[in-house]
Amino acid sequence: MSNTIKVLLLKYGIPSLAVIVIAVQFFFVNTQSLNKWKGGGYGMYTGIHYYYNQIYIPGMSVDSLIANNNEMERIFKHLKLMPNDDNLMSAAEFLVKTTHKDSIHIQIWKPSVNSKHGVYSRALVNEIYYKKTSL
Amino acid sequence: MIYWIGIKEKLNNHIELASQLLLLVLGIYISIMSEKYGIWKTPVLFLGLFYWFFFRHKIKHPIIWMAFSALLLFDLYLMYLRVANHHFVLTFMTLSVLCYRYHKRSDILLKNIQILLVIVILASVLQKLISNQFISGNFYYYMLNRGFLFDPFLGFFPEISEVTKSNTESLIALQATDPNIGESIVLKDVFPNLGVISQVFAMLTIAMEFIVAIAILWKPKSTWTHLLFIMLIIGILCTRLETGFMALLAISGLFLCNNIKLRLLYVIIAMFCVVLVVTKLGYH
Repeated sequence: MSNTIKVLLLKYGIPSLAVIVIAVQFFFVNTQSLNKWKGGGYGMYTGIHYYYNQIYIPGMSVDSLIANNNEMERIFKHLKLMPNDDNLMSAAEFLVKTTHKDSIHIQIWKPSVNSKHGVYSRALVNEIYYKKTSL
Repeated sequence: MIYWIGIKEKLNNHIELASQLLLLVLGIYISIMSEKYGIWKTPVLFLGLFYWFFFRHKIKHPIIWMAFSALLLFDLYLMYLRVANHHFVLTFMTLSVLCYRYHKRSDILLKNIQILLVIVILASVLQKLISNQFISGNFYYYMLNRGFLFDPFLGFFPEISEVTKSNTESLIALQATDPNIGESIVLKDVFPNLGVISQVFAMLTIAMEFIVAIAILWKPKSTWTHLLFIMLIIGILCTRLETGFMALLAISGLFLCNNIKLRLLYVIIAMFCVVLVVTKLGYH
């Protein structure tokens, strides 16, 4: 390898990795519903943190479900971070298995704020109606 | 006077000083992160420390930098979508210093740091520009009415704390209702004209970050560039105690800066951030 190429690689190799990570984050945000706060794209403080997204399951208390169930807590955290169809499906399957129900309805809501009128409301991000298939 | 001569001597070798500060931040960050998957990290940490204590002046390989890089990469592999953004910056900076220990060319290291800083700040600007919630001022409006910004100063204004507390109570009550009903609440403003102020604040944030990024790209050693960069870091710290990230920005500034007094300021900011991380008053 010539000296010039080596120097160029050393100078711009690591910054190029940073650009690749940012590009991957943009891809995940736009195709997999990844929240902008994570993934190395430096999108923190551009919107309300995903922690404040709400998981709503009609007829069930999310707080009770995650109490003493670390796996459930992990799945719900991941669902708030990336509320796409695949993660909703995984959460629904796990929930049906854990609660022994036949069907489940899960919704993810995010905060919506209007600074002109001071109104705080919630907007639906994604939802799933899941029914256990019996073979 | 004798103290200043000692400080000046240390500040003259700013690359070594910045590397030492980075190593300190790394050690603290790694120790915090080692709570997760500790069993796998123990042998790497032990070997790194053993070699560092006994052989750091005898072997040519920077074992401790290698060990810390390995741990950072390990966390990236297992928690890529969960780690904070400054984990990525810390990893890139660590890899830059690790490479520097081999090529020994300060111009290459400084170019690494300069371009990395520009990329990080420009990406942050771009993310803000494409976020409707940020551009409209709605994000800052929410954060201010919740008492999530400028929180170190809120203790001096009990009336503001009362408003944020009331907003929190209203939000908790709303959260307990079925969101399908479509109920909403009206947030109380911590001070008048908050909607307009939030929008102006959002625009100023973007403008300031953009100017700093361009200044670092165009004139990375200029005193003006570093004055602007220091203002940005202090501004962010006043808004939110993002001490882990700000320590890294201050160390990056120290790498690039030629002005002795500003180098000292960078060191003080980095040390202040490190102390707040250790005492858990700031975020890691």
